[in-house]
Amino acid sequence: MPEKVLRALSFRNISALWIFAAMFIVFAIWVPDTFLEWNTWKALFDSQAVTAILAVGLVIALSAGAFDLAIGTELGLGAIFVAWLMVDKGMGVVPAIVLTLIAGALIGLGNGLLVTKVRIDSFIATLGVSSVLLALIAWVSSSQQIVGVGSSLEKLGTTEIFGLTLPVYLMLAIGAGVWYVLERTPLGRRVYATGGNIEAARLAGVRVAAVVVCSLVACAAIASFAGLLVTANLGTGDPTIGPAYLLPAFSAAFLGSTQFRGGRFNVWGTIVAVYVLATGVKGLQLAGAPIWIPDLFNGVALLLAVGLAKFEATATRAGAVRRLLRMDRRRGGGAGAGGPAAAPAE
Amino acid sequence: MTQGGDPLLRVRGLSKTFPGLKALDDVSLEVGSGEIVALVGQNGSGKSTLVKVLAGVHQPDPGAEIELGEDGRAGLHFIHQDLGLVGQLSTIENLDLGRRLGRGALMPAPVREEARRAEELVEGFGARIDVRAPVERLSAAERAIVAIARALDGWEHDRNVLVLDEPTASLHGDEVDRLFVAVRRVAERGAGVIFISHRLDEVIEIADRVVCLRDGRLIADVPRGGYDHDDLVELIAGEALVAAEEAATPRDRGGPVLRAKGIRAPTIASMDLELRAGEILGVSGVLGSGREEVAASIFGSGQGTVEALEVDGKAVGELDPRRAIAAGVAYVPGDRHREGAVMKMTVRENMTLPRLRPLRRMMGRLDRKEERREVDRWIERVAVRPAEPERALELFSGGNQQKVVLAKWLRNEPRALLMDEPTQGVDVGAKAGIFELIANAAAAGAGVLVCSSDAKELALICDRVLVMRDGEVVAEVARGTQLSEAGLVRAGLGAVSKNGNGQHGGTPAGDGAEVSRHA
Repeated sequence: MPEKVLRALSFRNISALWIFAAMFIVFAIWVPDTFLEWNTWKALFDSQAVTAILAVGLVIALSAGAFDLAIGTELGLGAIFVAWLMVDKGMGVVPAIVLTLIAGALIGLGNGLLVTKVRIDSFIATLGVSSVLLALIAWVSSSQQIVGVGSSLEKLGTTEIFGLTLPVYLMLAIGAGVWYVLERTPLGRRVYATGGNIEAARLAGVRVAAVVVCSLVACAAIASFAGLLVTANLGTGDPTIGPAYLLPAFSAAFLGSTQFRGGRFNVWGTIVAVYVLATGVKGLQLAGAPIWIPDLFNGVALLLAVGLAKFEATATRAGAVRRLLRMDRRRGGGAGAGGPAAAPAE
Repeated sequence: MTQGGDPLLRVRGLSKTFPGLKALDDVSLEVGSGEIVALVGQNGSGKSTLVKVLAGVHQPDPGAEIELGEDGRAGLHFIHQDLGLVGQLSTIENLDLGRRLGRGALMPAPVREEARRAEELVEGFGARIDVRAPVERLSAAERAIVAIARALDGWEHDRNVLVLDEPTASLHGDEVDRLFVAVRRVAERGAGVIFISHRLDEVIEIADRVVCLRDGRLIADVPRGGYDHDDLVELIAGEALVAAEEAATPRDRGGPVLRAKGIRAPTIASMDLELRAGEILGVSGVLGSGREEVAASIFGSGQGTVEALEVDGKAVGELDPRRAIAAGVAYVPGDRHREGAVMKMTVRENMTLPRLRPLRRMMGRLDRKEERREVDRWIERVAVRPAEPERALELFSGGNQQKVVLAKWLRNEPRALLMDEPTQGVDVGAKAGIFELIANAAAAGAGVLVCSSDAKELALICDRVLVMRDGEVVAEVARGTQLSEAGLVRAGLGAVSKNGNGQHGGTPAGDGAEVSRHA
């Protein structure tokens, strides 16, 4: 048992938490007055909830082996679409939210069909869709902010429970839901199998096309929901926010994949990664770092995370092979001692 | 001994030992200038090991002598079956790969001059090719010629040895003739050629000398004219062992569990197949005979189609893996890494993937306790070592991976179990275990179809074997009627003529006596 605990606490398994601890200590000493302030942390939790939701959505697509590079603009479209429905079309808050989610799901369906039916690589398909969505956002909003979405939607973004805003709780709820499906149901198993080896999954009777389509639908719907929360938070539909979310979401999902589950994309690792990255950025900002720091930090984190994961995969394999060889030698030596084969040649 | 000029390649006392296996045993070989030497032998005879030692992939055992020309200046060039061309590039571009161009890397390439050069080069081998077209649009023979032209283009002198590894496996009739024209030109220029092929009529046509390997030993080195088709078959297959130990008790066979009519695939002309309950049916044949596509076609996962498929008397509609599985068919593909399993997932996850429904509980929850229990039982039953269900499959040895793949399908209790190359990449120890699992599955009433390039293994485990050649079943051998490795190899190598028509007369068909003709 203790060995199991040690392994669970090892740097390899939860490096992000150790990095978090290290950063916490450094910043607590460096900029104690601001970094240890509760308001700093509250702002951090609130502002990163949307990124975390988006990253959780991305985990679904990545688990199924599909890249969704349109995830940033899907968020952007959700943000502008809900504002447009409520302000320009005078819709109520509930139908506007439902329609926004449906719009997100339809975009995901489009992505899915491009990947499975038209057989465009997901990387390219979603890149193209991303540009189309940018155009759509500009068209719907005339590239202007849509102001005055009304208090009913704003409540969704700003209501506080126990000192944290509603999106934080929504993030945890969505995270729990996605975790349950991915890790505890047959469907989740099939998603991971499809992402792991699509051909083998197909030959095992998994409907791989359906899995890929559904994953991209869920991913896009969650992204549009995240966009809706951004608008709720700002009280304004902003046509420019989407693309900036792309990289943090990918960094978090990939860094998250190195946590807890030994190289598999997973929900809790991703959420932890979002906050660890955000803590680093926040600390640097408080310490007076220039404005370009977040971009640098996220980019380097993504490269490090993926690089480390690759390195670790080869290291694990090499380790296993070495163990096997050692076992073989021991067994070979043991058997050989008595057998006729033991006599060394010549 | 060489009928050509002076020797370009001389091998003496070459042995190669792998743990538990002597792949090559004291092989000596010479290839002279202007000579075409055919290297023949069945699967596992040591051919590919020999090629790999020559290519420097494997180190030979100490004591071997490999000499390249008298001055040591001759080179060895290998053309493998996949040819190593870049399909999207043109002939010109493929020829230029790996060659320093005259004007430096960033200067524009002299297009017209290159095209003319490429055309001349290819014409030198008797071919007229559109050198600007992507090579993937050329015929298979033309591509092979481009590969040969490229290999020779890099030579400073012609006194080298060209090794062609199964260059004709994907060629047909007159395409082979075109390739042979090119190969003869190579020899005429003074190079030596080692030609590896399963097709004996081709060997007879082109080789100046035939060298035959069996069980790692060089058993014959015969000059042209010293052999005919039958002699070669005899050399390759070995002694006609009198019906390898009659399997004491032929299994009780039930009615048919699987009937496939009109199997068609790129390499299968047309084929019917009936698999009975409790039997192990083998499919034998050399590379390109169609053997590789039988199982995948029935399972609906390959390029092949089946006109009518019946499992347990019920017709299966449009074929795809899901329907096949639902009907009670299981398929163990030959390429484990690409198709057989999800290597990054654990043993547990791999084993239960095809059938998760019985483990589903309320709210779609997966009953992981039950799953673990079941997987533990299967690990026990198929003896996976180490018995660690939570370890990623890629960290297991080939034999244990294959056991997991087998367990995953046996757990489905299939009516028909289809397998391609069930022991590929499996160590000797695990092989016996896998044979036992196959036998147990048959004993439990499943019909098992084993498609394999290893005739020895088929002769060992099968009740009945279909032998394929050129996309058709040419013979059926049942246990009790002299089912032996030699018999299968003989039937698979087959008649003299290339296309099946236009009999060359001369040599009587060698297989009629041994095996009953397929109806």
